[in-house]
Amino acid sequence: MAAVATCGGDAGSAGSAVATASKSNVTSFQRRGPRASGTNDSGPRLVSITGTRPSVRNGQLLVSTGLPALDQLLGGGLAVGTVLLIEEDKYNIYSSLLFKYFLAEGIVNGHTLLVASANEDPANILQELPAPLLDDNCKKEFDEDVYNRKTPESNIKMKIAWRYQLLPKMEIGPVSSSRFGHYYDASKRIPQELIEASKWHGFFLPEKIPSTLKVEPCSLTHGYIKLLQFIQNIIYEEGFDGSNPQKKQKNILRIGIQNLGSPLWGDDICCTENGDSSHSLTKFLYVLRGLLRTSLSVCIITMPTHLIQNKAVIAHITNLSDIVVGLESFIGSERETNPLYKDYHGLIHIRQIPRLNNLVCDESDVKDLGFKLKRKLFTIERLHLPPDLSDTVSRSSKQDLAESAKRLGPGCGMMAGGKKHLDF
Amino acid sequence: MTLSEGARAGTRELEMLDSLLALGGLVLLRDSVEWEGRSLLKALVKKSALCGEQVHILGCEVSEEEFREGFDSDINNRLVYHDFFRDPLNWSKTGEALPGGPLGALRAMCNRTDLGPVTIALDSLSWLLLHLPCTILCQTLHTVSHQDSCPPGDGSPVGKVHVLGLLHEELHGRGPMGALSSLAQTEVTLGGTMGQASARILCRRPRQRPTDQTQWFSILPDFSLDLQEGPSIESQPHSDPHIPPVDPTAHLTFNLHLSKKEREARDNLTLPFQFSSEKQEALLRPRPSQATSHIFYEPDAYDDLDQEDPDDDLDI
Repeated sequence: MAAVATCGGDAGSAGSAVATASKSNVTSFQRRGPRASGTNDSGPRLVSITGTRPSVRNGQLLVSTGLPALDQLLGGGLAVGTVLLIEEDKYNIYSSLLFKYFLAEGIVNGHTLLVASANEDPANILQELPAPLLDDNCKKEFDEDVYNRKTPESNIKMKIAWRYQLLPKMEIGPVSSSRFGHYYDASKRIPQELIEASKWHGFFLPEKIPSTLKVEPCSLTHGYIKLLQFIQNIIYEEGFDGSNPQKKQKNILRIGIQNLGSPLWGDDICCTENGDSSHSLTKFLYVLRGLLRTSLSVCIITMPTHLIQNKAVIAHITNLSDIVVGLESFIGSERETNPLYKDYHGLIHIRQIPRLNNLVCDESDVKDLGFKLKRKLFTIERLHLPPDLSDTVSRSSKQDLAESAKRLGPGCGMMAGGKKHLDF
Repeated sequence: MTLSEGARAGTRELEMLDSLLALGGLVLLRDSVEWEGRSLLKALVKKSALCGEQVHILGCEVSEEEFREGFDSDINNRLVYHDFFRDPLNWSKTGEALPGGPLGALRAMCNRTDLGPVTIALDSLSWLLLHLPCTILCQTLHTVSHQDSCPPGDGSPVGKVHVLGLLHEELHGRGPMGALSSLAQTEVTLGGTMGQASARILCRRPRQRPTDQTQWFSILPDFSLDLQEGPSIESQPHSDPHIPPVDPTAHLTFNLHLSKKEREARDNLTLPFQFSSEKQEALLRPRPSQATSHIFYEPDAYDDLDQEDPDDDLDI
């Protein structure tokens, strides 16, 4: 206090400092903010960017993945500065749908998009994004869905538990005003004006690299080098890393990379076990993570890991990514006709969740999850297996229970543990 | 065979070849030593030539005479044959071989000027896979087969491109086969039993579920297709043919189902707490004044109301 009053320099500033000190009569601490300090550029403010929210666990800034069900499983959302790796299903149907949900969420929230692909033009990818469900329409449609499902049972008046007739029904649809995480209609396309209003950058590999280029052996595949340079340029030029002081509102860059590691990127990791460029994908992920950590960006990568021949590489890739989600669809496999899985279209495996500035990660205790794509919704649910009741259950389903029990966590009960069945 | 049967067989034959050529893009014909695929490749080439498409053949594995054998002259005149069998490394330096080998020929087809529908038959893709790096081959095939999705600037319609690749399954490992399968729009795996050839056709439409069907066929000497029914005896045992879905309520020691009379009797049963519907309605009507809940106790016949407190003899 005394130092402030007697400090030399401008008399005006000393006078104002004394005046503010006398106003806050309780303590000498002054709250930093636009009203306390007179200057324009104050200290760190609470950053409020559209479409983000701080995590309830550690205050980390989170964005939505586009699927509220997936957000919940990942502990609230995707942390800014991390990589979400999706291991594709065999025919790349559901993983591309998750990719599109991510990009559509970016458009709805007004984030900048960067779409990179080696097989499809990014402009075409953006044309096929699903339409967001607006608040007033979607509640009506969900009520319709619920009504259709419950029609056979609603006629029976409750005779014994009649007091429960008054209780309101469980809300399974979306909350009416949700600014974090929107629902999308997979059967409709996003309206053109939303795409035009959004800012996006595309990276289409065949355009950036002429096919007649003589490929010289180097540690990183040429396509990856170009992609990293492109991402770095966008981050620098648009100021996502704070290098150019942004006068306007801060924004998030959403990066989407499709089919990374496929031969179309020039990487032979899917073709051979020990190729020339066996480390280029892992180096790419390492450099990418460095770029993301120092900027306000989030990245989603879909990778055809079922084609990668070297299993050690998959382990390296999992370690180098932050969140890893594997999709396994039932199309074409014998599980499609299995009555155990008849309600679902596939299984979803959360393989890794990061520990960011934390010792503990927000893992849910539910490890066996299935997904299904209904008319408009992509839902992720806990698998409910029917109980193994009698000995005359046919061998195929019993064996399958044992197989699935190997993948189950302890959350499903120890009923079907191991290949030997003990009936109690 | 009557006229209508012949017509129907003809339409079914058309359906199989049409379905293979409908999607465009890369069509993989996977064959093996027992069930060869070159005759199916030639049948598809003949079908495309008869439809008026431009047909290019990259011949690497068999000689030109052997490939052209069995085609009649008008089809032979329509085929544009690039011969890489006789002199694959261009040692004779006569100048008639294309520069760049088969890869150069494929790349030249990427930048074609006329835009009608075109069919490119690769005989065989296995040869190309063994001589070229897999990634470059995949990238080139992708560019060639997806030309129709990038229309040129003047907006004229681009005809469909079909790339037919003959792939010998036994020559390659799982890696290259998986990589090429993921690129292909249609994949035909040839097999068969007891002398009957079958084709398992897997169509990957973009953003839709892949369709999988098996078709039994045989190829006639003039490279037209004859569709057949499967062999009469199912020699391979299926895993789960006619087992009915398991009913867990089947062999229980107690009865879970109710007959109609039993259901009526159950409905007419008076519940242990005597309850009338008026009282139920009265209770169900929401009463905002009461915050607490009430317990309505109606003693039934067996209840014994003891005036003595059983806890009396406890010394509390």
